[in-house]
Amino acid sequence: MANLNDEIRTSLSEALAIGDSDAAIAFTRKALEQGAEPLDLIQQVIVPTLTRVGQDFQDFVIFLPELMLAGEAAEKVTSVLEEILFSSGKQTSSLGTVVIGAVENDVHDIGKNIVATLLRSHGFKVIDLGRDVSPSAFLDAAQKEKADVIAMSSLMTTTRPSTRSTINLFKEVGVRDQFKFIVGGGCVTQEWVTEIGGDGYAPDAASAVEICKAVLAK
Amino acid sequence: MQNNLLPMIVQLSESGPYMKEADFEKALSKRTAELVKQYSLKFSPQTPVPSDDDMADRLYQAGLDLFVEMGAYNQTTGRRIIFARNEVEELVGRARSRLVLGTGKDAVVMQHRNVESMTPAVVLSGPTGTPASEKYHPLILLSCAQEPLVDMLGAGSVSTYMGHQIIPGTPLEILGARRDAVVARDAVRKAGRPGMHISDVAVPLTCQGKMAAVDRDYGLRPSDAFLVSQMVELKTDYDQLSRVAYLQSIGMHIVDLMTPLIGGLGGGAEGTAVVTVACHILGVVLYDASYHMTSITHLRWVNNTDRMGLWMQASIGQALSRNTPIPALNDIYCVSGAGAEELLWEVAAAAVAGTPSGMNMQGAGCTGGFKTDHTTGLEARFLAEVTHACLGMSRKQANELVLELLNHYEKTFNEPNRGMPFPEVYDENTVEPKEVWLEKYHKVRNEIIKMGLDLDGGWRKVKHGQS
Repeated sequence: MANLNDEIRTSLSEALAIGDSDAAIAFTRKALEQGAEPLDLIQQVIVPTLTRVGQDFQDFVIFLPELMLAGEAAEKVTSVLEEILFSSGKQTSSLGTVVIGAVENDVHDIGKNIVATLLRSHGFKVIDLGRDVSPSAFLDAAQKEKADVIAMSSLMTTTRPSTRSTINLFKEVGVRDQFKFIVGGGCVTQEWVTEIGGDGYAPDAASAVEICKAVLAK
Repeated sequence: MQNNLLPMIVQLSESGPYMKEADFEKALSKRTAELVKQYSLKFSPQTPVPSDDDMADRLYQAGLDLFVEMGAYNQTTGRRIIFARNEVEELVGRARSRLVLGTGKDAVVMQHRNVESMTPAVVLSGPTGTPASEKYHPLILLSCAQEPLVDMLGAGSVSTYMGHQIIPGTPLEILGARRDAVVARDAVRKAGRPGMHISDVAVPLTCQGKMAAVDRDYGLRPSDAFLVSQMVELKTDYDQLSRVAYLQSIGMHIVDLMTPLIGGLGGGAEGTAVVTVACHILGVVLYDASYHMTSITHLRWVNNTDRMGLWMQASIGQALSRNTPIPALNDIYCVSGAGAEELLWEVAAAAVAGTPSGMNMQGAGCTGGFKTDHTTGLEARFLAEVTHACLGMSRKQANELVLELLNHYEKTFNEPNRGMPFPEVYDENTVEPKEVWLEKYHKVRNEIIKMGLDLDGGWRKVKHGQS
């Protein structure tokens, strides 16, 4: 990263922060031409920038449309870099695979979408199952994708029991210990997550990223 | 256009432009931001209650443009339901402006209210948006229904049935819905107001669950109402539209529930206000709603009593009041809970912002929905007192008052005072507030009277027709 022109680094970071995908890709290519390593760009520019964007969103300095644009730009840049890493035979830098969804009968997915955006921008591979996800769909996806973390969202007290039944299904088929479960959403509390035997409680989107990192570090 | 639009709505749902949901959201965000600029909409933290008629009209036009251009997204078919501008304008123009809600001596009239008018605002209360336990739900409902200044009862939601978690779509949902309807009916009977309008039983999440709560003798009746929801933002589906079909066919009131997120797809206060106006239009066109529940929700604190939320309530109320005939309803959602002084300050600020802006009132949602049973009838009484004291108030005066009221609670948002559960603030036998809660009520009440609000005289004028 020593060769990377500070100006390009700043420009790439700014382009990502305002969600200008075209400019971000152009600056990424420029940086690569100057000899920057794809992994360094991800770890030293993309992740810190998106961390700042996520914090600004948390602090209401920016709102969801801006977060979505920044997340989209980061995804596009990351995919360019991953292609290069793949063709050179190097490993990509995924922090882990997260299967995420709003639980069965819950159709509220904005919160879940925000978490998915932030996780992707921090280098997690995210498999988004959408809303109204049955316990068996979580199980199928977890096994198929060899997931590290199952992230469940529930907004309402009436759909919250599905978080328990999902974990219970994993226990029933004997694979509970292969995965970490994090839970969040409007009606979810730390007490609830403890009661159902989850591994982590995320009170908001930004903390979901930290919780994922923390449970995987255990 | 004919009255029953459902055949047309289904046809448009099947033939309208296909769009991936994520693309609809992106397009909506983008267009909303453009409309905010185009119509020069500007939120000012120092003016939570604006008095700018022209801006209110521009806000309405922006919301109308958004609905006409984007349409409503049907999640079932992945298609947009689009009506022509002239059709939308015709439907809004012919929307009901005056409703009789409830029956007999307990019926109330909810009507379209002009900005700064003396037209009485009706008050809907109950644990709507605040979870209640099976044990205390009947007492919480009674505590609201027995308040003389509360006009209508929201039945709220209990998530268990005889101790078992209610799973939507199962027999427990049907049983839970019927149980909650019976409890609500029993509450209004015990309160001596058997004809009181009951607004929704919230536990069922499916159309069949809602249908199960209808029972002329023991549950909800056509003089009551059910919510038909919109999903954020400007989205519906066939399950919601099927509720419309059922409710229309039995002549029951439909309430258009919208929950636009402050900081969500609409962006900041201005954009979310544009989206919220568009949501009201959706409720007129697709749901033929009797009234509309404006449940805007802060993405971070899950309330609408912050400066952005209050500005939105006031601006949206004015935009709808000046440009449509519909009766709008301000759904107040607070971070604090029963037993906390802050709850009363939050309620007061929202009532002062909304009433002169043409809204009717609903509240109070407590603790951002995080705490079970932290809700009572006393804050509903207080809401009604403040609301009635604000009739005829100028928006300028309301703005000054709201700024003063905000000083009492806005610094607590990050560490809110969630208050206490029902049995700690109400006597379980007499269903009367305990001294610990009454003391706080009287303290805040006296302070607000000193600010110039006639909490004793306001409601008398409404009930006895003096102006």
